[in-house]
Amino acid sequence: MPPSNPLPPKENALFKRILRCYEHKQYKNGLKFAKQILSNPKFAEHGETLAMKGLTLNCLGRKDEAYDYVRRGLRNDLKSPVCWHVYGLLQRSDKKYDEAIKCYRNALKWEKENIQILRDLSLLQIQMRDLEGYKDTRYQLFMLRPTQRASWIGFAMSYHLLGDYEMANSILDAFRTHQMKGPYDYEHSELLLYQNMVLAESGQYERALQHLQKFESQILDKLSVKETSGEYYLKLNRFKEAEGIYEDLLKRNPENVLYYSKLIEAKQLIKAEDKVAFFDEYKKQYPKAIAPRRLQLTEAQAQSSFENLVDEYLRHGLYKGIPPLFVDLRSLYADPMKAETIEKLIIQYIDNLAKDCTFGPDPSEVKQPASALLWAYYFAAQHFDHKKDTDRALHYIDAAIEHTPTLIELFIVKGRIYKHAGDPISAYQCLEEAQAMDTADRYVNCKCARYMLRAGHIKRAEEMCAKFTREGVPATENLNEMQCMWFQTEAAASYQRLQQWGEALKKAHEVDRHFSEIMEDQFDFHSYCMRKMTLRSYVGLLRLEDVLRAHPFYFRCARVAVRVYLRLHARPRSDAPQTAEPDTENLAPSELKKLRNKQRKAQRKAEQESALAAQVQVKREQHHKARQQQEQGDPEAPQLDELIPEKLARVEDPLEQALKFLQPLRILAADRIETHLMAFEIYFRKEKPLLMLQCIKRAWRLDSDNPELVDCLVRFQRWLEESLSGLHPNVAAVLKTETQPMVLGRSALQIAEQSVSGAARHAAALWAARALRRLVPDRTEQALRLVTSLDYPDVTIQSCADVLESLREGDFGECEAVIERYVEACSARFPYAIAFKPAPAPEASENHSEETTPLQPKEITANN
Amino acid sequence: MNIRCARPSDLMNMQHCNLLCLPENYQMKYYFYHGLSWPQLSYVAEDEKGHIVGYVLAKMEEDGEDNRHGHITSLAVKRSHRRLGLAQKLMNQASLAMVECFQAKYVSLHVRKSNRAALNLYTNSLGFKILEIEPKYYADGEDAYSMMRDLSAFAVDNKTDSNATDNLEIKSESAIISQC
Repeated sequence: MPPSNPLPPKENALFKRILRCYEHKQYKNGLKFAKQILSNPKFAEHGETLAMKGLTLNCLGRKDEAYDYVRRGLRNDLKSPVCWHVYGLLQRSDKKYDEAIKCYRNALKWEKENIQILRDLSLLQIQMRDLEGYKDTRYQLFMLRPTQRASWIGFAMSYHLLGDYEMANSILDAFRTHQMKGPYDYEHSELLLYQNMVLAESGQYERALQHLQKFESQILDKLSVKETSGEYYLKLNRFKEAEGIYEDLLKRNPENVLYYSKLIEAKQLIKAEDKVAFFDEYKKQYPKAIAPRRLQLTEAQAQSSFENLVDEYLRHGLYKGIPPLFVDLRSLYADPMKAETIEKLIIQYIDNLAKDCTFGPDPSEVKQPASALLWAYYFAAQHFDHKKDTDRALHYIDAAIEHTPTLIELFIVKGRIYKHAGDPISAYQCLEEAQAMDTADRYVNCKCARYMLRAGHIKRAEEMCAKFTREGVPATENLNEMQCMWFQTEAAASYQRLQQWGEALKKAHEVDRHFSEIMEDQFDFHSYCMRKMTLRSYVGLLRLEDVLRAHPFYFRCARVAVRVYLRLHARPRSDAPQTAEPDTENLAPSELKKLRNKQRKAQRKAEQESALAAQVQVKREQHHKARQQQEQGDPEAPQLDELIPEKLARVEDPLEQALKFLQPLRILAADRIETHLMAFEIYFRKEKPLLMLQCIKRAWRLDSDNPELVDCLVRFQRWLEESLSGLHPNVAAVLKTETQPMVLGRSALQIAEQSVSGAARHAAALWAARALRRLVPDRTEQALRLVTSLDYPDVTIQSCADVLESLREGDFGECEAVIERYVEACSARFPYAIAFKPAPAPEASENHSEETTPLQPKEITANN
Repeated sequence: MNIRCARPSDLMNMQHCNLLCLPENYQMKYYFYHGLSWPQLSYVAEDEKGHIVGYVLAKMEEDGEDNRHGHITSLAVKRSHRRLGLAQKLMNQASLAMVECFQAKYVSLHVRKSNRAALNLYTNSLGFKILEIEPKYYADGEDAYSMMRDLSAFAVDNKTDSNATDNLEIKSESAIISQC
């Protein structure tokens, strides 16, 4: 369709050159040609030229001008498909996909069969998962270009994604028979496997199996053929054939756990003895494989049988000196019989090895290498750590260190023992030792940094990480660039514990942005995979991206963000630009002095850092400029706002921000009760009764005994008691009916009282006591008795620390004496835990933990 | 420990494992690029909880029909899971797939000159030979050994049985690490 304002031949030629320049990224030249057209007063307002000029400017990073020109061009020529297409491209480059789709649709109104626009539209539709729209567009592309391979593939795929397997399969069949003319190459092989996937997903295993068998010789990916046909045989109860397939697969890879379980399924073994005998066979067949030996231990149920097997397994591991031996066996500890058996054996080994260098009591047994005792100590230390027997764990790890003081693994385990015992300071100091023994090992380095974060030493952790990040940029920047989410989630949690809300939010937002970026990453693969024919993996990618934020890293960062925002809602930051100001009134003089010292040091540090940051900023700008000149700017990358902790902590709408983090979890982590409890907290503060109800109901379905949920219910019921009369009668009626099955006619106080009397677990006691105290301050005594008791079967360091925090937060009013007694009791129960230690003398502790001097790694580079 | 071919949903966890173990890191898109171009070539080792404790990220170098060869972009096993022979097992699975799906003649990789443990694994346990030294290959200026392993044994053996995958036992004390 001709534009409404056609250019004469000379100008038209210039316009075509603008397009060419755009395609070849010669933006400066493009602008020159645009100027030549526009400087002619007759064409100064030529729409398409203006639009193209805007698009070109966008590629040079001049975003504001770009929008001006494109919009002006469009206004001048509303019927031009070029103008609409350009506007769409501009929006797309800003990731405004919904807007871009609208523009493309407008463009297509004026030129229905423009292939390029249809293709661009289809990419956005699949990116946005507009599957119906995608199908329509792919249909049009197919009709317009029936000879192109991509037309067929996209057309078939659009049906597959909508679950219309028959149609997808028919298209693929037709394509294969009419369009594909040899050679039987990798792409052909992948296409066949994709078609097979479509058949399998339609549930027609018989047909899928036949398809696979028919084309087997044309498929290169033999592993997939075997694995899928094994699945099909099992689904079709053709066990004999399945058996043969899995036997073959084990020959290929005897370390695949799934193959063994499928083979057991095919052989229809049920009884534990049969399974144990089954593994005997494969142990013989694959003597070097670990899987059959290890899986046998899981299956063995009888004590004597298990003891024989685990005895053999342990001896082999200790003789060989396999460090992961304990980690490998840990899951067996779920069965107390197995844990006891292992303990008995390991202690027996240690006794005998120390005496006679043998595993068994018979001194004439084969002598073991000296290292066997070391590994036995190492195992025992982890064993007792697992049992939370800190003293014995430390005893054995110290024995091991005395035996071989240069083994890094020992210090890692010693650190872990301290961590479990509640002493994160000693823990990270052990890791520092380990790290200094092999500074070239990043794993130990990361572990050390993680422990530092747990201990609240964030700057030290960053310095530690810096040993492995690019020189010239701060470690945090490089880690962010590399999407290093473990560090950022740990740092977020650490800042949260230190009450540095802005910093915590910054880290949480950084992680969130990685997830957004990873969502964007799929864009290029929409067309790439159709060329490569790796369609099964492509579908796998789409399905991964659909649930991307179900990843634990996202959950962790969202949880920090939600809690911090809730906190900021409760206590908005004043305008004083101070970092978290701890409550100084309740501090003992020595603590106060310590705190002041700390603040002075922090300030000095902050000054040094901001000087450094300024330098870095200059460097970064230089670097940035250089790169921009090199690449002429990246037109695809919209500029994100810089995350500034101070600004984040001064957020105006904390609840809305919290909701943004929470929203993906409500869909993707709906099976975790925490999701709904966090949602309740937000809606409770927003006073949205129906949404509160929804959260409570969803949580209730997951676990109606959850103590935090019961507390939510108490608060909700209390809120209803006070506010129900003010609500619309229909809303009130719904709330009454819907809460009834949970509330059962009780008042908030009655629910709380019942949870007090029924509190058998530690966490339940805390929530119940707190609820009672909140409702009836007169019953503080009773609440305190409940909450400070240590007579619960599930008392842990963490649960006690939670109670202590609640006491200190003032949830039970002023209770200095109670706190003191409670700390004493906890300290007796958990002697290593620093949470219950009186504050140490300020100087001693600070020299150790706050010094900014870099660590001095010992020059040991043992490569054990 | 379970060894299996990597799926798209493993790629993020492979990145995590890489960031814990190795100094050379990549953004997610590069993992996607591997997983979606050569889905058969990357393998993972996972523990019972499904956490990835080791991986091999591999690709094909497609420079010419008669020089088809695989390349190991990155191989790592967590220090906590060493001496189980995981690196070797991962490499063998990837190599077999290179031969089967892409008719690879050999597989290549780079390793830091200072990484004795890895060099030991590649030469003694996996049959790699040093081709040449590539000066200043790494970002920090360190040289790399460019290494290769002939895969013709896999081309023959995978027809009959899997000797190629288990006749090599770990001899090195500590197995690990390479980098593209």
